[in-house]
Amino acid sequence: MAEEVLRMQGITKIYPNGFMANKDITFGIGANEIHALVGENGAGKTTLMKILFGMEDCQEGKIFINGNEVKIANPLDAIAKGVGMVHQHFMLLPSLTVAENVVLGVEPMKNGLFDFNTAVKNTQEIADKYNFKVDATAKVSTLSVGQMQKVEILKALIKGAKILILDEPTAVLTPQETEELFEQLFNLRDSGVSVIFISHKLEEVMRICSKVTVLRRGECMGTYDTADLDESKISRLMVGRDVILKIEKEDPKPAEPILEIKNLRRFNSFGKAVIDGITFTVRSGEVVGIAGVEGNGQTELSEVLAGLAPFAEGDVVLNGKSIRGMSVRQIRDAGMAYIAEDRMVEGCSGEMSIEMNIMADRFTKSDYKNGLFINSKKMREETERLIDEFEILCDNADQPVRMLSGGNIQKVVVAREFTSGANFILANQPTRGIDVGTAEMIRKTIVRKSREEGTCTVLISADLNEVLECSDRLLVMRKGKVVAAFPKANEVSEGELGEYMLGLKTMTPEQMEGLL
Amino acid sequence: MSEVKQTTEAVKEKPQMDPRRSGVMQRTQRIEAMMEVVRIIAGMAIAYLVALLILIAISDDPLFIVKQFILGPFSSPRRIGSIINLAVPFMLCGLSMCFMYAVNKFNLIGESIFMLAGCIVTWLGLAIGNSLPMAVMVPLMLIVGAIVGAILSFIPAIMDRKLNANVVVVSLMLNAVIAQLAIYILRYFMRDPGISFIGSYETPDSMQLPTLFGKMKVGSGIIIAVILVIVISILFYKTAFGWKMRLVGSNPRFATAVGLSTLGISFAAQLAGGALAGVAGATEIMNSYKRFQWTASTGHGFDGLLVAVLAKRNPILVPIGALFLAYVRIGADVVNTSGDIPNEFISVIQGIIILLVAAESFLSGFKNKLIFRSVQAEKAAAQKDTK
Repeated sequence: MAEEVLRMQGITKIYPNGFMANKDITFGIGANEIHALVGENGAGKTTLMKILFGMEDCQEGKIFINGNEVKIANPLDAIAKGVGMVHQHFMLLPSLTVAENVVLGVEPMKNGLFDFNTAVKNTQEIADKYNFKVDATAKVSTLSVGQMQKVEILKALIKGAKILILDEPTAVLTPQETEELFEQLFNLRDSGVSVIFISHKLEEVMRICSKVTVLRRGECMGTYDTADLDESKISRLMVGRDVILKIEKEDPKPAEPILEIKNLRRFNSFGKAVIDGITFTVRSGEVVGIAGVEGNGQTELSEVLAGLAPFAEGDVVLNGKSIRGMSVRQIRDAGMAYIAEDRMVEGCSGEMSIEMNIMADRFTKSDYKNGLFINSKKMREETERLIDEFEILCDNADQPVRMLSGGNIQKVVVAREFTSGANFILANQPTRGIDVGTAEMIRKTIVRKSREEGTCTVLISADLNEVLECSDRLLVMRKGKVVAAFPKANEVSEGELGEYMLGLKTMTPEQMEGLL
Repeated sequence: MSEVKQTTEAVKEKPQMDPRRSGVMQRTQRIEAMMEVVRIIAGMAIAYLVALLILIAISDDPLFIVKQFILGPFSSPRRIGSIINLAVPFMLCGLSMCFMYAVNKFNLIGESIFMLAGCIVTWLGLAIGNSLPMAVMVPLMLIVGAIVGAILSFIPAIMDRKLNANVVVVSLMLNAVIAQLAIYILRYFMRDPGISFIGSYETPDSMQLPTLFGKMKVGSGIIIAVILVIVISILFYKTAFGWKMRLVGSNPRFATAVGLSTLGISFAAQLAGGALAGVAGATEIMNSYKRFQWTASTGHGFDGLLVAVLAKRNPILVPIGALFLAYVRIGADVVNTSGDIPNEFISVIQGIIILLVAAESFLSGFKNKLIFRSVQAEKAAAQKDTK
């Protein structure tokens, strides 16, 4: 085994909001090694790398470089210790030349002034050394994405990086550029640079990496030789379930369709389809789960359904009415309730009182008005009742929501959305980052409302426990498309699900026929 | 609502606990409220101390100056009356800025609205003369002021919304233009050539508000201000529109997601804020002046911003912020006329006081420490209980 150049030992990171992003992670990489770090979004890869690069501090754990324990206080410190990082989003100055970008921070000087010619010479030297084909005098704004990435890598190399972190480097590249990148990574490896390659494209990992470390929900699932693994084994390690959660529920009795999505398309500002022809129907009395690696169009879909973003093609019909062109108010009046993905952004207003947050969707209705004024007494009674019902831990209804714990804030959100009288509930990550008790209450309420009141629910979640146990039917989204559909969510194995989520398998439209 | 009953049952399955059993949070709220008062008092004490230190260097009798600054404003009924009169435009402009703040749009057009509204009502008053009784004239002038304000604040609001032009920049630029417009009207349409300074003819008696409380000479404009404080506080806290504004201002994305028309509400709030600045200008002319004689921007719009900050954007607290600012200003006047201190220095002291009172995170480290300690104490106590 090659000599170990980096070891991260027992790394634990807890964010101020109580979220544990890394839990006692230990992993090491050897010299001349391309080491993959894989895991779903939110598994803690980026956090771990930010700790290594000095952008975050950790509560516990040690870092060793070449066997010596080091403290990395900030990125400059990390660079000085030979760690370089290429971020997902490039950090370049587009109006300057390649050479100027590369030497930024280590500018060659002559007579107290910046020496452009030496900068170009140094850049060209290092580019030639590692066989990078870039023109040092070109302006960055004229480069292609692949070339910009080379500049980023050169930036790290000129500062003497021996450990190079690449955060999803191929996500932005064309296949040809990817090939070129791989060639360069092999060159780097052979000249003594260790590369940490973050990705969830497993075929790339299998191709270029000799070792792979798998993270799942902040925990390390182990480091393996890629030779001992295949793609489906990695995917099982990545998306397995930690605890089996069981929700007792009767079989659904789907009745009339409430939500019909027909060949829906939405494009982002670059003209790329983020929702690419989705069709499915949700009936009264059933919960349809949507699983998938984050960033595959789930957020965009939920924005469309909640009326927060327009769509280009297709149609969404809610209770017989097309929502095209409707305002959020009109869609809500047509029967939609929305548990937002990020409760502090779209789910509540932290500075405002619990009362205002719970009443936010209904205080304009005539039930809560008293002539010109709002009916304070009725609103207060209603709020107090919901606080009791949902067991929101607080002093009184006037307390600002920001003073509550995450779980209690989410209770405020669901106290509003579950009681709005809607028959379609759009729940996007309804239990993310909250305590087990509240999560259970929310899941049970979703199921109960579907069985007893016949609401239809679209449940989007990165939590496999949740989608597998709460849902009746299950769809898998990847790259803006529905790539798999299962009639019974609780009979799907996570291994199978993982293969669809990561794109190892795709169902044909014929296979999904009748399941959408 | 049937679904509500069912969720009740859902929750009842779990062991019941008292949801109000959370002393920690109550204590946190109490600490936050207490620290608010401590912060203001500490801010003022530090400002006066700094002033005293500087005064020792430049004044023959520093203690006298500080005493004048603190107690001078209360030394005669006339001065107390002056504080109240000065507080009237501060209150109205503060209310105006509460609207802008509520929807998080720093539309600073109030500065020039105040001036132009004063100018327009004078012009109109001169045209009407004494033909109308005061009971008609005063409300008419207030309405005209409000209309002028609403029209002017429409400009930055629409540019912000349709052209994505920064509302701060547009309103500040417009301020310069509108102030010149007011001066133009004054010079070419209503200037009284018989007086030694630039000023309009005297306004008719029917639009000069009578004074109250004998010697204190408090103008009855304070009544208009107090009524508007009450009306607007009710609007903010007891009407759907007030709720909408506050929701939109505190988190526009959330407001959109629950179905509020964020753009329309923020637009309406800016128009209302502009209308109030217009009312402020009209009231000030009727309350404190016989002629329109402003030949430069008066600064009331920015004072309104200060008052709104001091009042924590809460219209109920606006009178306190306005009286405080007026008190500091009158204190400065007193020192200016009775001491050996240059006027500029007074502005410095004023600035320090307002800065420290307005700085929201002053002493926040101390506050957090108190909260942290109380949470720890609570936890320790809870552990003891379980043992």
